[in-house]
Amino acid sequence: MLKLATEPLASCAGCHVSILDLHEDILQLLGKAELVYSPILMDVKEPPDGIDIAIIGGAIRNKENMERVKKLRQKAKTVIAYGTCACFGGVSGLSIIHSRDEILSSVYTDSVSTTSKTIPKDDIPELLYRGYAVGDVIKVDYYITGCPPKETFLRKILLPLVEGHVPELPKKSVCAECDRNMELVKNWKLKRRYEGIPEEGKCLLGQGYLCMGSVTFGRCGALCTHHGIPCHGCSGPSLDVLREPCRDLYNILVMRIQHLTELPQAEIEKELYDVPHTIYPFVMGSKIMENKSVSKIPDIIKERHL
Amino acid sequence: MKKLTIHPLSRIEGHASVTINLDDKGEVADAHFHATELRGFEKFLEGAAVEEAPRITPRICGICPTVHHLASAKAVDEIFGAQVPETALKLRRLLDMGQFIHSHALHLFLLALPDYILGPDYNPALRNVVGLVQANPELAKMAIEGRKIGQRITEETGGKPIHPVSAVPGGMSFALANEKRAELEAMAKRSVEIARISWPVVMKMMDKYADLVNSVGLVQSDFVGLTRNGKLEFYDGNVRAIDSGGVQLADFPGKDYLSYIEETAEPYSYMKFTKLKKGNGFYRVGPLARVNIVDSIGTPEADKMLAEFRAKYGRVPQQSLLYHAARTIEYMAASETALSLLQDSAITDKNVRTAVTGVKNTRGIGVVEATRGTLIHDYTVNDKGFITKANLIVATGHNNRAIDRAVLQSSQKLIHGDNVSEGTLNRIEMVVRAYDPCVSCATHAIGRMPVQLTVVDSEGNVIREVTKC
Ligand code: SF4
Ligand code: SF4
Ligand code: SF4
Repeated sequence: MLKLATEPLASCAGCHVSILDLHEDILQLLGKAELVYSPILMDVKEPPDGIDIAIIGGAIRNKENMERVKKLRQKAKTVIAYGTCACFGGVSGLSIIHSRDEILSSVYTDSVSTTSKTIPKDDIPELLYRGYAVGDVIKVDYYITGCPPKETFLRKILLPLVEGHVPELPKKSVCAECDRNMELVKNWKLKRRYEGIPEEGKCLLGQGYLCMGSVTFGRCGALCTHHGIPCHGCSGPSLDVLREPCRDLYNILVMRIQHLTELPQAEIEKELYDVPHTIYPFVMGSKIMENKSVSKIPDIIKERHL
Repeated sequence: MKKLTIHPLSRIEGHASVTINLDDKGEVADAHFHATELRGFEKFLEGAAVEEAPRITPRICGICPTVHHLASAKAVDEIFGAQVPETALKLRRLLDMGQFIHSHALHLFLLALPDYILGPDYNPALRNVVGLVQANPELAKMAIEGRKIGQRITEETGGKPIHPVSAVPGGMSFALANEKRAELEAMAKRSVEIARISWPVVMKMMDKYADLVNSVGLVQSDFVGLTRNGKLEFYDGNVRAIDSGGVQLADFPGKDYLSYIEETAEPYSYMKFTKLKKGNGFYRVGPLARVNIVDSIGTPEADKMLAEFRAKYGRVPQQSLLYHAARTIEYMAASETALSLLQDSAITDKNVRTAVTGVKNTRGIGVVEATRGTLIHDYTVNDKGFITKANLIVATGHNNRAIDRAVLQSSQKLIHGDNVSEGTLNRIEMVVRAYDPCVSCATHAIGRMPVQLTVVDSEGNVIREVTKC
């Protein structure tokens, strides 16, 4: 039987929960694959040899994560970076906007409720100065994005993989799955995401909300926009952004707004606010995104460290 | 001195380890529970537009994202001075019940029960959900169904089953459709039934392992949690603290938490330790704490269960392993509450959101009961609504001291000499597991939690590292 391992690195474990969200089909999965290592679900403490598929969720945030991920690469035939943290650093990547010492002191010495001045250091793995996406450290065979990947999508890929097939992966952006109408708008103004109540049926970006749908990988079924909420980009960059070195979340989003509003680029850029938390919150830990010639990530890091 | 290590602690959420120090005679001199990860949310929320917090903070924990979403939304409502419509409050409560049903079912059946159903010494490669499926497929199926109901309620009220998005400043982003209401009502009925079937199963497990229940994981503590009019409360209400004898120590609105609670750090854990400024300071939160602080649950079937529990274990039981029984009572309470919310005709009302205009207060504090205990989100913003300071206190932080001391007590009870079996170490893990610790949450600050068990000699040399399996 195929041997399956799962590893939660620095993560919220939501990616593991999403596998459990296969519900009854979990039994089918367990009938076809033998779970040999999965610290959240079982007591095997070290990954054994001869793993067929290792599903890695979470980012690399400390030395122990780093060792685990290398060990799993040695022991597994196929490695899947599962979820946005593993693929692009996820929210943990936001830690890069501050130095390690700033993070430690804000939590352990400067917090309003904390009275001690101790910074932990014994018997615990050392924190790295930044978070890393798994694929920036080891070779990855498949990237499955989503925060977490939606279970309907998982049904389409995980079960075929376990059966030895190469799954068909959808390649569209969130906009392609969204049922709102995108049309040219006049007098566009950017709104904060809390302002007003969005109108039904109309594109949120057109209504002035920073909706990341057009630059975000689909596969979630446009869940947020469907429920009246602008897309936050939690599934990571869309395929066109990923493929092209001169395309980035920021510049493509600005371009889309330009198409929609016919406003000059400079005017749109003036209105953008809190770029790290509104445009890049899920990809700050990704070298792929940071290394793009047009990426704003290097500027954000520099600015925050000054 | 020798040192035993259990690393990583498994079937818990996040990364942690246990170390046990043995003296020259092989007796336990000291033991600790270590959270081994940290991610840094409190810091990287700085600079964020505050309305983004309810979408970023659920990523602290994928098992309890809903409670972070709700605590954060409550804090943000306060910042915008938002008036949340009645129906939106009901929908938020329903969303919360989805969280409790899913998380309690997950912990109870899939993570904790394998130790009791299969036995603490059972083959560690199978002492888990896979073994449970083999040994008791009916129970395993019911567990999966129980979780599914919770996740379906969360999805239909939160927009997503994991990391819900619907609580927005001023209410909810969408109303519940009538057809969905009917579908969820049928599910909630089934959930009540699953809770009813589970109760005798769990109580029998507590009986079967009475020796363990009454001898390991024993700590004497105060208890803290939310209540409203003395009843079990998850979303709102005052924080009540009682001492180990049941005498009330404090009763205060969550926003005053700084006058009552403080935190300290220890060198050996990324997770901080909280302390009550009153009483002896040492307290616990979560299911056992909640059933201990309340006068009654407030729903009929769960109240019957509480009466049975108190008749058997007394008014303020202290045993760590009884967390599982308390969790089952709450699983019933959450199912019954979901059902009554779904049977309320107002739940499908379309008025679910009041528009907000701008920052009204520069501080917002949201307190809710998370599945594992009291959760506090405290944000300070500038006049444009950008976060300048964030402070988070999560359930496992409140329980950290208790877990640490319960690990010491169990090790002292169970370990004599360095020839320690895997099953013995698993009994220590069972004590940790009873708290359903969420190290991801507790170390929201920067990372994740592995647990390890090490034995050191009096010179600090590691003599034995017990890796399980
Ligand atoms: S990708 Fe999202 S769901 Fe998965 S571990 Fe990261 S934060 Fe959690
Ligand atoms: S920008 Fe957003 S709202 Fe507009 S079509 Fe794309 S996903 Fe839908
Ligand atoms: S719509 Fe956007 S933010 Fe929402 S789940 Fe999909 S990718 Fe994530």
